[in-house]
Amino acid sequence: MEEIMKQFVEYPSDPYTSIAKWKENTKKKVIGIFPMWIPEEIIHAAGMLPVVMWRSNEAITWGYAHVPPYNCAINKSVVDDAVKGKLKFMDGMVFLRQCLQSQEVPFIVENNRPPAFEEYLYLPPIYHGDKASKDFTRDEFKRLRKRLEEFGGEKITDEKLNESINIYNKNRSLLRKLYDLRKEKPGILRGRDVLRIVWSSMLMPKEEHNKLLESLLSELEKNGYKPAKGKKVFLSGCLCIHPQLELLDMIEDLGMLVVDDDIYVGYRYFANDAEITDDPIGALMERHFIKTPVDPARGEVEVNWGKELIGKVKKLHADGIITLLTKYCPPHLCYYPDIKVELANAGIPEVLIEVEHEVISMESIKTRLQSFREMIGGH
Amino acid sequence: MSTQYKINKLDTSGVGPLVDRHWRELREAKEKGMKIAWCAGPMFVYAYATPNIASHFMAGYAAYCGGRGMADEVLEAAERYGELRDTCSYHRLHTGMAAMIMNDWPVSNPQVLLPMPDLLIGGRFCTEMSHYMEAIHRRFGVKAVTIEIPSARSREDLPRLEKFLTNQVKETLIPAIEEVSGSKFDEENMRSILRPWKETCIIRNKCWEFFKKKPSPWTLWDYGVSIAPVFYAMGKPESLEYYNNLLKQLEERTEKNIPAVHPDGEKYRLYWDGWLPWSFLGKFIRMMIPYGAIPIAGRYPWEFFPHPEDINTEADDIIHEWIRLIYTSPNTLSYHDGPWGGQEHIEDLIQTYSIDGMLFFSSKTCRMWNLGQQEIIANIEKKYGIPGIVIDGDMIDSTMVSEDQIRTRIEALLETIDARRR
Ligand code: SF4
Ligand code: SF4
Repeated sequence: MEEIMKQFVEYPSDPYTSIAKWKENTKKKVIGIFPMWIPEEIIHAAGMLPVVMWRSNEAITWGYAHVPPYNCAINKSVVDDAVKGKLKFMDGMVFLRQCLQSQEVPFIVENNRPPAFEEYLYLPPIYHGDKASKDFTRDEFKRLRKRLEEFGGEKITDEKLNESINIYNKNRSLLRKLYDLRKEKPGILRGRDVLRIVWSSMLMPKEEHNKLLESLLSELEKNGYKPAKGKKVFLSGCLCIHPQLELLDMIEDLGMLVVDDDIYVGYRYFANDAEITDDPIGALMERHFIKTPVDPARGEVEVNWGKELIGKVKKLHADGIITLLTKYCPPHLCYYPDIKVELANAGIPEVLIEVEHEVISMESIKTRLQSFREMIGGH
Repeated sequence: MSTQYKINKLDTSGVGPLVDRHWRELREAKEKGMKIAWCAGPMFVYAYATPNIASHFMAGYAAYCGGRGMADEVLEAAERYGELRDTCSYHRLHTGMAAMIMNDWPVSNPQVLLPMPDLLIGGRFCTEMSHYMEAIHRRFGVKAVTIEIPSARSREDLPRLEKFLTNQVKETLIPAIEEVSGSKFDEENMRSILRPWKETCIIRNKCWEFFKKKPSPWTLWDYGVSIAPVFYAMGKPESLEYYNNLLKQLEERTEKNIPAVHPDGEKYRLYWDGWLPWSFLGKFIRMMIPYGAIPIAGRYPWEFFPHPEDINTEADDIIHEWIRLIYTSPNTLSYHDGPWGGQEHIEDLIQTYSIDGMLFFSSKTCRMWNLGQQEIIANIEKKYGIPGIVIDGDMIDSTMVSEDQIRTRIEALLETIDARRR
């Protein structure tokens, strides 16, 4: 078990070195993709490794010569890493238009450290389920496929694409299994471990990750489970970035157990499969428009995140919700006030914690979490 | 500082009554049973051309509220209503206003009260607009149509973006306007609005040309407040009248050699990037004038269809023609608004208008322009030796504007210009 966890942890502990090492060993290309919704399967089918760009743990320095401080953590971090040359092991980068901030990040990257390959997808962040948005998205995916074919010098056939979708679907279903297990047996893994398992899936080849996950799941099933004590909480939000591991530790140390989440480096990442059909690009497009979990950066006017959360909490018999809001993230910022009202009306306790790039004041977070813990049935 | 500089504003007093009338008529429209659309971005024109629905312009409202000193009160209402302060201030302003109306909260100047909408139309280069339309929809149950208008990364992308926007408008927006208004969208009506509008904008462009003069007879602020008639009286005779009057004043000033800055014209010609700080226009210009500095040209005012010559008002597909203006027309707006084409555009402006330095206004809550600004400054400075600075603030939220910080940065910019002149 420890050995398996060690392997999961390797990539998230130092993604820069681990990915560069993988590249060195395999002589394959690495493509960094901006969170959250680039269809990785197309890159995988091109024989390259898609890695989801991450928030670094270093303080932003040079980045502030390019991005104002009142921008979200992933933008600041990617720009800072890019201008410092820390991402130079990436042969390419793919960006998307999912929000106001992410749409201009590529300009800065191109201006300073342009990768050999770059693509930008104009995906609609809010849509009406209309034909126009669907047709356009399909064309964007097709364009990415063509550009990758040119860059890699190999055709991405439908068969290859379906193979990749298959591998990714498998990864997603294994991760969902792990999450189901956690719902059934809260505390079976520490929050920081669950997070790093999901995060490593964003960084390492899915084939390897699948193997590791299979071993982990069989180990977990074999091992006995000693029921953990604590109030059951649901983590919500945290778009584009992973929360600090210390924050997850703190939640547990205060006597709470995360039973489920809809955070990006969490359920949101692996929630939806693409179907295997004779039109794989169409299947990826359809997946993009799936309405659950409700996604403010890929949203539909008629859905309601608050109601969805209420449903989940009731089903899980959870005691409350901890909202992690990526600071300066407009899609979440615009949604949050309504969620708060919905939850209050439904009598579901909730607390808001802002997640920034680097130092979040752990002391004040602790105070907030402590009073939340008291609210849901304190010590 | 030996010369005592003073501003000599152009007479733009014609704007006030026009603006007041627009908002009054909007309130009356609701009372008469007409439907109301709150519109953001250039897609308002389709509602404007449809009978039985009156349009409110969301950015215009921010300027209106800011100009009447009411922004803080409405923003405070938004916060009371639960809005978070990091969301854009135009968003907060509208939810604050809606909260005031729906909860019957007292308002110190009822002139700024709006009729609640029956339809929300969002469509800008900014995605946050869609988010805030969606939020208003959730809270108040108003139908929202969010249209995506991506700004282009390269000219190559323009045709397919144009197709995407055209399809959204025809498939989603126009049917929604028709459904809410109960009237058919009228193409001929749209043409009849665009014909005089085009004429007006041509005159407005003649006015803009006066920024080339040294000394300049007016400032970007005069031009900025004059944006209102293009919207509020689109295609109406009073709009043309306003600009004809402006042109006359500029011609007279030029003839008599009267500059915008007394006694003998500006010492520093500044480029202004980003939104205009609607609530603080006076505050900002007062920080520049003592030094003889004025804003001359900017990217934002160009957003409002600076190239009327590009539109064919007789086009068979007039719906598409308006969209063509944004994308594949020769002066593509969507390209110039994003950072890629923006830099090209700014380079052109600083040369054409003999700019000495650049002020990039970065709104703390609107990230529409600010991500590329530092890059553009560095690139232009390297290429042309023209210095630039970023000033942080907000268009209407006074809690986000630090006068001292802004003054210090402006002074630093002017000192750099001086140093380079030596
Ligand atoms: S965290 Fe929010 S604002 Fe930042 S890139 Fe993601 S969706 Fe956009
Ligand atoms: S973020 Fe900026 S561009 Fe977008 S709606 Fe708000 S004020 Fe307008």
